[in-house]
Amino acid sequence: MSGHDSKYFSTTKKGEIPELKEELNSQYKDKRKDAVKKVIAAMTVGKDVSSLFTDVVNCMQTENLELKKLVYLYLINYAKSQPDLAILAVNTFVKDSQDPNPLIRALAVRTMGCIRVDKITEYLCDPLQRCLKDDDPYVRKTAAICVAKLYDINAELVEDRGFLENLKDLISDNNPMVVANAVAALAEIQENSASPIFEITSHTLSKLLTALNECTEWGQVFILDALARYKAPDAREAENIVERVTPRLQHANCAVVLSAVKMILLQMEIITSTDVIRNLCKKMAPPLVTLLSAEPEIQYVALRNINLIVQKRPTILSHEIKVFFCKYNDPIYVKMEKLEIMIKLASDRNIDQVLLEFKEYATEVDVDFVRKAVRAIGRCAIKLDRAAERCISVLLELIKIKVNYVVQEAIIVIKDIFRRYPNTYESIIATLCESLDTLDEPEAKASMIWIIGEYAERIDNADELLESFLETFPEEPAMVQLQLLTATVKLFLKKPTDVPQQMIQAVLNNATVETDNPDLRDRAYIYWRLLSTDPEAAKDIVLAEKPVISDDSNLLEPSLLDELLANIATLSSVYHKPPEVFVTRAKVVTAKTDEEEYLDGNSETAYSETPSHVVSGGSPTASASAVASTSQPASRAPPTGPAAPLPDLLGDLIGMDNSAVVPADDPATPSAPPLPVLVPSSTGQGLQISAQLVRHEGQIFYSLLFENGSQVALDGFMIQFNKNSFGLAAGAPLQVPAIQPGTSARTLVPMNLFQNIMPGPPSSLLQVAVKNNQQPVWYFSDKIPLHVFFSEDGKMERSIFLEDLTNSVIHSIDATVEHLAASNVFFVAKRRNANKEVLYLSTKIPRGIPFLIEITAGLGVPGVKCAIKTPNPEYAPIFFEAMETLLV
Amino acid sequence: MISQFFVLSQRGDNIVFRDYRGEVAKGSAEIFFRKVKFWKEDEAEEAPPVFNVDGVNYIHVKVAGLFFVATSRVNVSPSLVLELLQRIARVTKDYLGVLNEDSLRKNFVLVYELLDEVIDFGYPQTTSTEALKSYVFNEPIVVDAGRLPPLGPAAMFMQGTKRMPGTAVTKSVVATEPGGKKREEIFVDIIEKISVTFSSSGYILTSEIDGTIQMKSYLTGNPEIRLALNEDLSIGRNGSSLYDYRSSAGGGTVILDDCNFHESVHLDSFDVDRTLTLAEVILKIRADFSPNVTANTITVQMPVPSYTMRASFELEAGATGQTTDFKEGSRRLEWNLKKIVGGAEHTLRAKLTFSQEMHGNIAKEAGPVNMNFTIPMYNASKLQVRYLQIAKKSKTYNPYRWVRYVTQANSYVARL
Repeated sequence: MSGHDSKYFSTTKKGEIPELKEELNSQYKDKRKDAVKKVIAAMTVGKDVSSLFTDVVNCMQTENLELKKLVYLYLINYAKSQPDLAILAVNTFVKDSQDPNPLIRALAVRTMGCIRVDKITEYLCDPLQRCLKDDDPYVRKTAAICVAKLYDINAELVEDRGFLENLKDLISDNNPMVVANAVAALAEIQENSASPIFEITSHTLSKLLTALNECTEWGQVFILDALARYKAPDAREAENIVERVTPRLQHANCAVVLSAVKMILLQMEIITSTDVIRNLCKKMAPPLVTLLSAEPEIQYVALRNINLIVQKRPTILSHEIKVFFCKYNDPIYVKMEKLEIMIKLASDRNIDQVLLEFKEYATEVDVDFVRKAVRAIGRCAIKLDRAAERCISVLLELIKIKVNYVVQEAIIVIKDIFRRYPNTYESIIATLCESLDTLDEPEAKASMIWIIGEYAERIDNADELLESFLETFPEEPAMVQLQLLTATVKLFLKKPTDVPQQMIQAVLNNATVETDNPDLRDRAYIYWRLLSTDPEAAKDIVLAEKPVISDDSNLLEPSLLDELLANIATLSSVYHKPPEVFVTRAKVVTAKTDEEEYLDGNSETAYSETPSHVVSGGSPTASASAVASTSQPASRAPPTGPAAPLPDLLGDLIGMDNSAVVPADDPATPSAPPLPVLVPSSTGQGLQISAQLVRHEGQIFYSLLFENGSQVALDGFMIQFNKNSFGLAAGAPLQVPAIQPGTSARTLVPMNLFQNIMPGPPSSLLQVAVKNNQQPVWYFSDKIPLHVFFSEDGKMERSIFLEDLTNSVIHSIDATVEHLAASNVFFVAKRRNANKEVLYLSTKIPRGIPFLIEITAGLGVPGVKCAIKTPNPEYAPIFFEAMETLLV
Repeated sequence: MISQFFVLSQRGDNIVFRDYRGEVAKGSAEIFFRKVKFWKEDEAEEAPPVFNVDGVNYIHVKVAGLFFVATSRVNVSPSLVLELLQRIARVTKDYLGVLNEDSLRKNFVLVYELLDEVIDFGYPQTTSTEALKSYVFNEPIVVDAGRLPPLGPAAMFMQGTKRMPGTAVTKSVVATEPGGKKREEIFVDIIEKISVTFSSSGYILTSEIDGTIQMKSYLTGNPEIRLALNEDLSIGRNGSSLYDYRSSAGGGTVILDDCNFHESVHLDSFDVDRTLTLAEVILKIRADFSPNVTANTITVQMPVPSYTMRASFELEAGATGQTTDFKEGSRRLEWNLKKIVGGAEHTLRAKLTFSQEMHGNIAKEAGPVNMNFTIPMYNASKLQVRYLQIAKKSKTYNPYRWVRYVTQANSYVARL
């Protein structure tokens, strides 16, 4: 081949398609090949060349493999949009599948499987049947994957034609590549099928373990991952498996190593001999360490997995903490993960070394990393009580550097240390107080105020310190206001003298009269009443002893950890979430919306596109996903009702209304609507839990119904919410009386927002754990309906203001738009109205006050009419002033 | 398994795009690029290599300034996908000679042909350059590598040294030479990266050498190649590593897993002494290796307190090939040396002007000092190739054999 392929990308004139048509029908082979290349080039940049379908297919009958491949590439792309024409290709496909050249046979089957057109699929079966028994392993391995393709298009066909049996036969194939692909295909089919298709018996197990040694690296991963589902019946077989898998730990491919690690960890659950376990732990350490010298991307995956492994089996890497020390050129995502693992591996033995590292990190350039390092020191202090004092002295050293964000972060962790070791380290308070005026972050301020309040009796000038914060009380964020309120009350209770008395009055006044934050107001009222009715009781309550907090560095629930460990070497172990949380494929495949997407979006199934194509191809997708998202609320309706989406959606909304009428203090009102059942009695050992998030008078509640169908009375109910996108957490303990057998109880748990926010894209998932004294902990997932967050003050009175800006003139729309955009006034739309141009723009000023602007003007004619909409009409005059300046 | 594979340029342009399963919407490349460009989550500002947006998992690596991305809807093995992406980059480079936007665009037909063989229905099939030769028929169009940085650690052989035929690094495995006849040659690169952390008292806190042996063969046919390493090498799997070599003699890398080299590793080949007197910083480097070895392109960086306004430098008398710079944005001193001969010692004095009073000890706010360097024809571990044997086809068959060593700084840090 001569010349540059990129010449095919050269800009095209109007007559391109007819020109190509002519070339495709040329009598010269080379010309035809060049033409097909041009067509493919056009396709990859998103031009629609589907009109050339017949001409391109005509080039298909060729001996030239290179040309054939190009035509097939085209077919995969456009067959869907031209199903009637695609049938033209069938004959050639069938003929190719019997070609003497194995490459052509394989190519035909591979390509046919990629064309999702029913008519083609019908003709695929016979060639596929032949190819599965082909003499050439390259054809067989391609055919094996093709069965998985066919299953994705038409599962019944695969089952009816006995392809599953064929696939299972291929497990015994003498070529390891074929075995690996057969295993991959079977594993995928099993994943999408409810019936048992691919069950691993001890016979298949031994066959696969043998194939493992000869496979390509990728085949080894397929096989190891498939075998992970096998449960060894006894410790002896488990040991046997481990012995066969252990050599994989030496592989250069990290995927093989991690899949082998998963296999071994699973078998270790079954193995009973402590000697064998200890030995395995020893063997696994070096490969895991070696993963950390791979590319940073792979290191990241390895670190996320190691994070799980050390939680379960800390001994494996307990002596290797040094390899987790950060290198200065590690990407930040690697550094953060290393830090997490260092905290987990920190022990009394290595803490001095670890602290030295943390201290070093705390003086680095990257602010986020520095903060995390400071927090890490605090977490070590909480975790290791014998090292707490050393950790604190490091923190104090860092505070003395007086780097603003280090000081703030240190104060936050020191507050936690005080909670963990009450009455132990108060001597350092004086040092902390020196940095008081540098605090400007809410969390750090709140922490410092908590410390002052908690130890008011030991700080001579506690009242002065608090007073300095009180000056700005109205402007502080809620977090700081709440702490200030509590700290002032504590101060007053501890030192009931004049100054605190005046302070408390000022604070209570501020917090009750001048605030619109209900949390703050309610808390202030409670204090107020407590103080006025019984100061002694107030003392008992406010100054009560607090429960000691514990280390949170092993956050994962044991059951979740076990689930994640079973998923080592998968995405699940990187996200630290169970697979069902983020895998939605099974549903999408059956959903009708997906079908539509294929029909509409098929014109460009495989290649890149220009922006114009994105628009045309993107819109059906967008509408499809919109359909999917609106139908979502329906899926969380009670599973008992077999209902169409629409009525259910309505029922849901009506349900919301009704529950909103239920008074908060009378949770057991019988008229409340049925709640969705989240733990059915069948899985809850007789206990059925139904629940839903509801909004009532500006407050969000978790409405729960417990029905006790078990034989015993249940009591001691407690509830806990996992981290979620909205930081929803219980605002009060669960109030449920003992539930006798056969009775039920309803309750509303007030919910707080923004407590423990899960990072990542917003998700509606809410994971809940409920326990009682008689049963195991029940975990269930609920969806967060966004509408509970729609706040009552969402309604805005938008006043319209109109002004003639006589000094302004617009000469060119584009120039004006650009000029305004430079001043952050953004263009929304424009239209023409009776030879006047109308421009719509938007802008925002601090505190998020939006302005919608309509500008009407004749081009070049002095005098511009400006209308604005804004929820804060008082800004209108100065806004017009600004617009006039901008439009001169 | 993998739904789509695509390559994006630094500006987010689609260079290569292949959909294997039709289950992820078309805009995925754009969604990915936006997400990566404006990443601000989990306290970090750099997107991790694996993340999920609306049920689609995006897995990516950055190679030669390009994003190699795969999407998936299922719970795949991320390490498998990441390894595969690296391997695709390597195979493409082997075929094209140079891996960059230009070469990918010019060779799009070849790249699609490769991708069809490498991945089928989202499952990786064959990633060995050698094995792929039997299935791939397009010939590469070789792109001039001139201004563009080549891929991989072997790139260092391009730097300055006349010792090596640097062009070979950017040569395609399959392309025929312009002269018509193919030059028979084989390269064995022993590349070592040193990571050392010195404490402020000069004591070594951590130290490790990360070594790889890379072999790139331009030999016709597929002769058996034998690579013998030091006899005294204590590796557990000496025998099998030879086998690995044979099987991947197409240009793949063999990582000798968990090989423990001598503990007597020569780690103190460099030493950085620091003395700090008030606002004067003196950086001293001593090259602690034999005078017949030279280190190239040395960069010494030292972060200084954020309130540093200016820095003036004073190089030793007669210093050549040395430059200094104060990077205000990242508040760093930079000292570049073109080369240091073994045994030599160089000093830099920097006077810093602060905008405010010092808080006490400057050492607490500055540093750590890190150093980047390359030492060609030297390897710290003392690993050696004793001989490289190629099965002979005929008496006249005598291909060029190159064995190259290099040591590079990975994370070479001295704390203050």
